Amino acid sequence: MSDLPNPLRHGLRIGRTPEPCTVVIFGASGDLTSRKLVPALYNLAHERRLPGGFSVVGFARRPWDDAQFRQVLLDGVNANSRSGAVEAELWASFAEGIHYQPGNFDDPSAYARLVERLAELDLRRGTGGNRVFYLATPPEAYPDIIRQLGAHGLHQSPHGGWTRIIIEKPFGRDLASAQALNQQVLAVFAEPQVYRIDHYLGKETVQNIMVFRFANGIFEPLWDRRSVDHVQITVAENLGVEDRGGYYDHSGALRDMIQNHLMQLLALVAMEPPVSYDADAVRDEKVKVLRAVRRIRPEEVATYTVRGQYDAGSLSGRPLAGYRDERGVDPASQTETYVGLKLFVENWRWAGVPFYLRSGKALPRRVSEIAIQFKTVPTMLFAETPMHDIEPNVLAIKLQPDEGITLKFGSKVPGQPQIRPVTMDFRYGTSFGVASPEAYERLLLDCMLGDSTLFTRRDEVEASWSLITPIHQGWLASPAQSFPNYEAGSWGPNSADEFMARDGRTWRRL
Amino acid sequence: MTSMTMVEIGAIERELRQLWSESAEKSPDGQAVIRALTLNLIACTHDAEHADRMTDAIQQLTASHPSRAILALLQPDAPEPRLDGFVQANCLLSRRGTPQVCGEQITLDARGSAVQQVASLILALLVPDLPVVLWLSHPDPFDAPLLARLRSVVDRVMVNSQAFAQPTKELVRMAELERTVSSGGLALHTFAISDLTWASLTAWRELTAQFFDTRPLLPHLRRIDHVTITYQAPNGANNPVAGLLLAGWLASCLAWVPLEDAVSIEAAQIRFHLRRPAVGVGTGAIRLVTIDLCPVEAGIGAMPGLLALHLEALDGITASFRVERAETPGYALTTATIAGMEPISRLARCEEPSLADLLAAELRLRHRDQTFSDALRVAGLLAARLGRDI
Repeated sequence: MSDLPNPLRHGLRIGRTPEPCTVVIFGASGDLTSRKLVPALYNLAHERRLPGGFSVVGFARRPWDDAQFRQVLLDGVNANSRSGAVEAELWASFAEGIHYQPGNFDDPSAYARLVERLAELDLRRGTGGNRVFYLATPPEAYPDIIRQLGAHGLHQSPHGGWTRIIIEKPFGRDLASAQALNQQVLAVFAEPQVYRIDHYLGKETVQNIMVFRFANGIFEPLWDRRSVDHVQITVAENLGVEDRGGYYDHSGALRDMIQNHLMQLLALVAMEPPVSYDADAVRDEKVKVLRAVRRIRPEEVATYTVRGQYDAGSLSGRPLAGYRDERGVDPASQTETYVGLKLFVENWRWAGVPFYLRSGKALPRRVSEIAIQFKTVPTMLFAETPMHDIEPNVLAIKLQPDEGITLKFGSKVPGQPQIRPVTMDFRYGTSFGVASPEAYERLLLDCMLGDSTLFTRRDEVEASWSLITPIHQGWLASPAQSFPNYEAGSWGPNSADEFMARDGRTWRRL
Repeated sequence: MTSMTMVEIGAIERELRQLWSESAEKSPDGQAVIRALTLNLIACTHDAEHADRMTDAIQQLTASHPSRAILALLQPDAPEPRLDGFVQANCLLSRRGTPQVCGEQITLDARGSAVQQVASLILALLVPDLPVVLWLSHPDPFDAPLLARLRSVVDRVMVNSQAFAQPTKELVRMAELERTVSSGGLALHTFAISDLTWASLTAWRELTAQFFDTRPLLPHLRRIDHVTITYQAPNGANNPVAGLLLAGWLASCLAWVPLEDAVSIEAAQIRFHLRRPAVGVGTGAIRLVTIDLCPVEAGIGAMPGLLALHLEALDGITASFRVERAETPGYALTTATIAGMEPISRLARCEEPSLADLLAAELRLRHRDQTFSDALRVAGLLAARLGRDI
């Protein structure tokens, strides 16, 4: 990360802006570009976080020109920007830097034209050879793009500038393919140039997990096996697979959600305090957690995992077809749309504390949270209240929606000899009165500033896949007999409740 | 917001408790009403019309800084002594199913000799263990008796230098007070000073600083030898404080030192000469910087404020960095022009912040703003060189 001693920066209340650069988006005609990436870049411009000269080059197969591309992006920003409808003047200034380069991902001549286009932008817009290559394509295209970038010298910048590459998930399908992709990427780029994106890490509430843990003295002494009974991490989606059936049927919830988002959340909850808040110190600690997770062997999947697939039902009052009836899905599909896992982090802090992870599609609500359930009191002082009426303390970190933190504790009911759980509630929205930036805004800005703290390092990705791959192998060896096994709009299969009941616990009602 | 209720002065706390009980009972769908207090905000003015604007701002602040606000409307010249108190709750609109967050406001309307009782009443009404902010909306805030009476308990004093009756004179006083307070000159009575005019310069400072986040442009910053600050002077009222603060900021960041007696005034334009650290060849030579403050006449109704900031390096490779209000209100145009290169321009949002925005920005600060202190020190020196109001 360049660390410019700009004396005018001192005391300013927003962070520094990146140097002028060009973001080259491969797969620019796709949904991600118009729905997430360019709205995020526009919002950064709206917040004055982008420098003059900032430029975008879209690279995709469709034979568009600059004007067509700008119009598609304008429509996308109007529909998806958190800052509301586009401000015409601001868009006009922003759009001056937007260009389109048609070409196939394996066509060398298209990359030769890209080289010329980037050189021209360096001269005309002062981008100084600084580039971010964003791979927003299907993963099958990654090897071609990376190879062509290397072949055309685009992995290094002219004029002393910098070059970085952002790679979208999925980063591999299993350990072997992730290792192979890492080798392909690192044959062309150096690891510090590589930004593997997991947009969950860009969410303010996810970043707040570390702040909450390491900036507040009262919780850390309780954050271990002595005080914590178990941890539940939930990422529930209230949608089916929509138009991603073809992709999803080759992926499933385990690889689409657990391997990246939920394992990252687990790492943030369970990690030791890093020695500093720099990229490698934080990622070192996360890797240690992932390496400490006890691996579930293929023959253990029935004990430590539960899976499900949704059948027809209704979501929020609207009917939803069963998973196997979705477009692009094999009618006899064995792909899981729901996963529950029980994991153990085998280190001094967490030995014996189960971490329950669940994620599913077509569940009743879109909700993500981490709940730390503390142990109950050892004896009951209050004779009138039976022990089973005492609920354990729960600290819930809500990631979406209604981002915030709640703490549940017991309190006496006025005038009655009863104890009732009450909740202390902190909500981001009402406590700070400012809108949180979208995850992609933060992550794109961090990449342009050269800060990789919120991106996933090679060894993190591989450590995570080393946990997930044996589970998948176990499932392949014992196909699900009862799929589909939960109704769309329910909280998952009955076997998921039985899975928890075996341990004398229940999933949180969310 | 609940309507304002007139209450007995001796029973304000009791009336507030009653207000909260009633609010909880009347809340829609029986939802909880959360009384959230993050600070004591004492707002003081002599002007009834301005008191309404302050109330509006306090209500808007509830989103980010719910507070116990004590608004003191002091009219010492009124013939009859009189002291009235009112209470009200300031609540955010809540979504269905979420609790409503509210702050509270006490309004004290003091007239004639009753004005002298207000400080003791305020001291009795402060919520313990919360920061105390004193917002003085006076043309001569540093003469306010309330400041003298309350300074032992306040953590922050907020003023608006753009509203000073004698801008340069008061700016010098503010710089002196800041220096005294920050050096411990008031013994235990340390408080931070905030200036809402300084807060209004944040966007200008950001846009200026952003030119030099770029490695190739950073060296030009040390070569700047001419600065032009253009500001609007509505109806001929030449108030240069925003320009002085901006000049003070540049000078303090770049270690420029005002030269003795090096100020000239031609028509309404003010020119300062400063010495900057030498760079490059001939490091022993004294390098000079000139800063021009240029008022532009504007008609009645125009808002005072900056129009343009232009930094130039004219010696050697010419480089120019300009931030100026765009024709479309709410935007600024930034342009970097380096000899031999294409100019790089962009349009950026630069909205006129509301009073509540300015207050919120300053209330976010937990301690002294060192950058402001440094800028104010130099701005005070420049104002002192000027010696008089224009």
